[in-house]
Amino acid sequence: MKPLKDAQLGAFTFFASALPHDVCGSNGLPLTPNSIKILGRFQILKTISHPRLCQYVDISRGKHERLIVVSEHYASSLSGFKQGHIISPEKLLQIAYGVLEGLEFMNKNGLVHRALSAHNVLMDYKGNVKLAKFGLYHMTDHGADVDFPIGYPSYLSPEVIAQGSFHPSDPSHDEAPLPSGPKTDVWSLGVLLFELCAGRRLWQKFDISEKLKFILTLGCMDDIVTVLAEEHGCLETIKDLPNNVLELLRKCLTFLPSKRPTPAELLGDPLFNGISFQRTPFQQPVSLFSSSLRCAHLELPDDISDLCKDDDEDYLSERGIDEVYHLWCLAGGDLEKELTNKGIIQSKPPICTLPNFVLEDGESFGQGRDRSFLLDDTTVTLSLCQLRNRLKDVAGEAYYPLLEDEQSSLPQSNSSNELSATVTLPLIIRERDTEYQLIRIILFDRLLKSYPYKKNLVWKEARVDIPPLVRGLTWAALLGIEGDIQAKYESIDKDTPIPTDRQIEVDIPRCHQYDELLSSPQGHIKFRRVLKAWVVSHPDLVYWQALAYACMSAFIPKYLYNFFLKDNSHVIQEYLTVFSQVIAFHDPELSNHLNEIGFIPDLYAIPWFLTMFTHVFPLHKIFHLWDTLLLGNSSFPFCIGVAILQQLRDRLLANGFNECILLFSDLPEIDIERCVRESINLFRWTPKSATYRQHAQPTKVPGDNGFGKTATYFSSDYQGMPKTDLSREPLALCDLKAEVSPRISAEDLIDLCELSLAGPSKRNKAGKPKIVAVDIRSVEDFGRGHISGSINIPFNTVFSPDGELVQCPATGALQNYRGRVIVVISHVMKSATMFAAHLVKVSFQRVCVLDGGINKLKPTGLLTVPSPQI
Amino acid sequence: MATRDPVLAMKKSKAKANSAAEKEFVFEFRAGKHNCVLKVPLQFPVQLNISDLHGRLMLLHKIPCYIESDLKTSLSNFIEKETSLDYDRGAELALQRLTMGDIDVNQLTSAWSRSYVETTLEHALPEEPSRAEDFADVYHELIHSPASDTLLNLEHNYFVSISELISERDMEIKKLQERQTTEMDKVMHELGNTLSDQDVNAVASQHFDAQQILENKWTSELQQVTEIQKQEYQEWVIKLHQDLQKPSNSSIINEEIKVQSRQLTEAADSGTRMFEEQPQLEESFTIHLGAQLKTMHNLRLVRADVLDFCKHRRHGSSGAKLRRLQTALLLYSSSLCGLVLLVDNRVNSYSGIKRDFATVAKECTDFHFPCLEEQLEEVQQVLLLARVQRSSKQKDQPENRKNGGDDKSKTVERNPSNIVPGEFYISRHSNLSEVHVVFHLCVDDNVRSGSITARDPAIMGLRNILKVCCTHDITTITVPLLLVHDMSEEMTIPWCLKRAELVFKCVKGFMMEMASWDGGISRTVQFLVPKSISEEMFYQLSNMLPQIFRVSSTLTLTSRH
Repeated sequence: MKPLKDAQLGAFTFFASALPHDVCGSNGLPLTPNSIKILGRFQILKTISHPRLCQYVDISRGKHERLIVVSEHYASSLSGFKQGHIISPEKLLQIAYGVLEGLEFMNKNGLVHRALSAHNVLMDYKGNVKLAKFGLYHMTDHGADVDFPIGYPSYLSPEVIAQGSFHPSDPSHDEAPLPSGPKTDVWSLGVLLFELCAGRRLWQKFDISEKLKFILTLGCMDDIVTVLAEEHGCLETIKDLPNNVLELLRKCLTFLPSKRPTPAELLGDPLFNGISFQRTPFQQPVSLFSSSLRCAHLELPDDISDLCKDDDEDYLSERGIDEVYHLWCLAGGDLEKELTNKGIIQSKPPICTLPNFVLEDGESFGQGRDRSFLLDDTTVTLSLCQLRNRLKDVAGEAYYPLLEDEQSSLPQSNSSNELSATVTLPLIIRERDTEYQLIRIILFDRLLKSYPYKKNLVWKEARVDIPPLVRGLTWAALLGIEGDIQAKYESIDKDTPIPTDRQIEVDIPRCHQYDELLSSPQGHIKFRRVLKAWVVSHPDLVYWQALAYACMSAFIPKYLYNFFLKDNSHVIQEYLTVFSQVIAFHDPELSNHLNEIGFIPDLYAIPWFLTMFTHVFPLHKIFHLWDTLLLGNSSFPFCIGVAILQQLRDRLLANGFNECILLFSDLPEIDIERCVRESINLFRWTPKSATYRQHAQPTKVPGDNGFGKTATYFSSDYQGMPKTDLSREPLALCDLKAEVSPRISAEDLIDLCELSLAGPSKRNKAGKPKIVAVDIRSVEDFGRGHISGSINIPFNTVFSPDGELVQCPATGALQNYRGRVIVVISHVMKSATMFAAHLVKVSFQRVCVLDGGINKLKPTGLLTVPSPQI
Repeated sequence: MATRDPVLAMKKSKAKANSAAEKEFVFEFRAGKHNCVLKVPLQFPVQLNISDLHGRLMLLHKIPCYIESDLKTSLSNFIEKETSLDYDRGAELALQRLTMGDIDVNQLTSAWSRSYVETTLEHALPEEPSRAEDFADVYHELIHSPASDTLLNLEHNYFVSISELISERDMEIKKLQERQTTEMDKVMHELGNTLSDQDVNAVASQHFDAQQILENKWTSELQQVTEIQKQEYQEWVIKLHQDLQKPSNSSIINEEIKVQSRQLTEAADSGTRMFEEQPQLEESFTIHLGAQLKTMHNLRLVRADVLDFCKHRRHGSSGAKLRRLQTALLLYSSSLCGLVLLVDNRVNSYSGIKRDFATVAKECTDFHFPCLEEQLEEVQQVLLLARVQRSSKQKDQPENRKNGGDDKSKTVERNPSNIVPGEFYISRHSNLSEVHVVFHLCVDDNVRSGSITARDPAIMGLRNILKVCCTHDITTITVPLLLVHDMSEEMTIPWCLKRAELVFKCVKGFMMEMASWDGGISRTVQFLVPKSISEEMFYQLSNMLPQIFRVSSTLTLTSRH
């Protein structure tokens, strides 16, 4: 979003009209409240940026269908020019030109202002025009979702008046008037310009219906401008105007819409010749993901130091409006309080407005109309004092961190000592900390601007945390999205009916409907488009839709490869079996219990993995979970699953089958931060190959990623590694199901035990799990060659035939290694898995089996023979 | 090669008939030696995203990529031009209708002016100052200041004087009755000897008249005292507020208040009539609602009399004053307390629970709202008005409510001033101990039967009550769980369990619905069961509750190894 500069933040409020009692939609679901519809339609307005328009920033929903809109705001408007003061013709033309530029841009985006009036044309300090409230007509669905008419009586064009006002409480008009076209704004502009010329308001002494009647009678007049001038006694002033101004007035105040020019036509009119050449046409800034060169229009001045000239120490105003607003909220800004202080929101005590009597169908009577529900569309300036005060200690350098040196840690300034202390605080607190968020947002903003060049740094910083404001783009960056996704998205057929439509139609109203955005019809429409696009273009991928689409399509292959195939049962089966093995690996006690009561993952975990947990958690938790999920590899979901189970551990252990089913059917609150922390921990302990799946996404073609990820141990995918004969081999599903503990590949074992032939391992040991190899072959076999560092515990010495642990020195040794990863090595896989199963039974943690047994290792020449007799 | 877009052709049938028109977009281009024509029927006004449409056309008709941008410009130009023409046509049609006289100019402009006057502050009629609201502001401010103690004590003093009057009245009536009984006994004794049946009747009617006169006397006296108290109180509050406004003497007044309050408390302590505290059975639960985003609410199961929530206890009894203060603090706030009272179909206070409630409501002067009788009168007027509006609406659209509407209208025709089950009226009170708003929900004998369903009017009434709670910030609501205030023979244990399950489940559903209306504000719902149910039954019900609602898990703090 464009920087704040000298603008202010303004807020105004209005009520959406209440729904009639107990009416259901055509699908049988309750109707969406009007305020939510408006909120959904508002979203597109946030993306409309033009120098002649006041940028919309945010909308928020209050109690009882109240909406508060936040936008760019300026203190001075054209209504300040009133009464007696007459503007020079040049200035007048410039204003008209500015307004027309704004209108034309709006029309291009399919918007009509409709509420153009003197106090909605604001002026910045350079005297440039800024149109305010331009989106009101759009967001209220041409006025259908609010009780009040949009527009001001004096500025309404004749055709708008003729089409009638739609008043919901009036049953005689049940059809809404047609939406107004762009030309209505031209009439309003004409009235506005006339007022500026005459130096007085029109029809000030008339009441509303007289005003409107007068406007309608203008149709019979030949020269509307003269008639108006005569009526208001300013014929002389009008007559003295230069010809081009008079011409402009005449063109704007044309009674018949078909003869009236559109804003675009007026802009091209020769009467603006003197002005149009001074203005450079507006260019839409290039977005992050586009095919065109982002630096194509970048022009550096000859002298670089010119750039640093206008240094007025106000760094905050160089930040984007949305960032400033976000920080304002963090610094304790409260919209409703601001508006209440200014007297815009007045509320009566609710006990005074209760109805007397309510019918069976919910219609209430005896309740007077509450005056506080009337529209007062005054815009209130939000004071940034508190925010500036809060940020006064932030040094100027913090606003422009240097990213060049990848080795240096966080860009640090002197004041950031406390910031590094903040990093250790819980995430929820960090997300509410104004200074911390400022620094993070600036950092991410810069990193993302240099995406994909700085992709590695984005990964690194995302591991610390992701500021909520830039989450969308950051996710996109983490998923490695590139190219002109908007164009790609557009080229996908999203409208042709397809068989899955019905399913999508049914599913959408079930998705996180408590969230205002997702429950608005606009949200539904966009969501539907994204889903359809996915379905249609399956074999291969915004604002928020294009981006969401790109993210989804990058995301799904990574984590849920093949999950959506038609016959997905064996894929899911495999997934779940691996999951239960992972449970056994990390928490044998729990796994024993769950197996005992027959509570298998099929019963609860399918929706977890199919939806990557979005089905079970509210959005704000999902955000945090996914922040981490996107950083891990495809086996990370297992760890999250285990972490969730561990949180419920006590209850699961205490309960039988029925209680467990009940518990999961209505999942209790999960502490998501703990969950994330624990799953990261679990992830560290899990050898990569333990979660090997046959049906995972096949290896990417190398070089697919131009800027290759940092191939750290934890982020690279097991599946992404080149296949060697030491890797794991696919296993039939039934065999897989029979095994309790996961298998790991010989490769992993070598890696973890640092058995590499090629000298010391290149990675340091710090981040790796501690491991112990347990060789269960007979002593003789062990003597003939084994892995260095492994201990020998022959199978039959440890376990009695019925699976009890026998007391002997070997078991003592084994007990000492509790907590480490235990790799069971054997000749025959069967005995190894059995041994592992027994170990799990007696609650040994982190037991796994070497895939292929000792035979796999033989060719590597890593086996050592102990020197005899020492 | 001429291609026609199949998708849009299909969509044509679905499109709405009104004002929608189909136009054909024609685009010609050369592909090698061929002259190609692309014809696309488009529905106006265009709802589609032009870029999407363009992308689909490119894909579906396999249009060569070198004309991609040409197609895009010509498509958007076409749509722009046609849309603009449509706007002009619509606008001029409207203007034409006006000049032709199809629409009356005066009607049109007055409709406009009405919608401005009714919805915008700028054009709205100035508001006449309302005494009640001013008083509300003043009171709300005072009760949240150090003066609150004084206010409460004053209120309590008034209460004491009223209850003294009432006990005096009760005493006198009792005396009269005793005297009359003895007299009657004497007369009966003489019956047959010196006195005839006629004499006995005469004495009886005489007694009755005497009683009436006495009661009337007391009623008028009470009413008078109440009026005086109310006026005194309001004047005093306004004056106190004015005094406090002056900064200079606010501290002095604070001192005065303190002194005064001490005296008042002492006076209050010497009260005579005491309500004995009866042991209530109650159990509280904290629950979570919602599948993904959970909202937390409090539920309470209470075994008590419904009027226990209304009756005042004397100062001195534990917590009574705090409860009083709590109620007063919340009176004009946005977290009110409500109570559901089950009444019959007449709007008055002559019999049964209505009479008992009226007695309780009269025990203490209402300093803020009109007394119960006045409120009920107002309800009756509004009710008649509502009936008139409803019947005129039904005449307008007779086919609309055919099913079920017939038998309902019959009941209404019988007596329009009666209400039907599921309807309720609302009274406001500042003088009850724990309640600000009382919902008088009409039920019939049907609720005593065991066979009511979730579609029963009484249940729908509950839903509407919860909806009003939502729109008017009533955050605590007390609901009779069994939909009766007193137990009777036919209410067996299975009956109770079935009824409780139904109400629990319905209320759960309504609460989830409410969460979508108001964004999930935390609420307290108290389920009330009659005093006469057994302790065992109570615990059965309290076991049932956590099975229906998801009780939030207790936070277990265990040290991890």
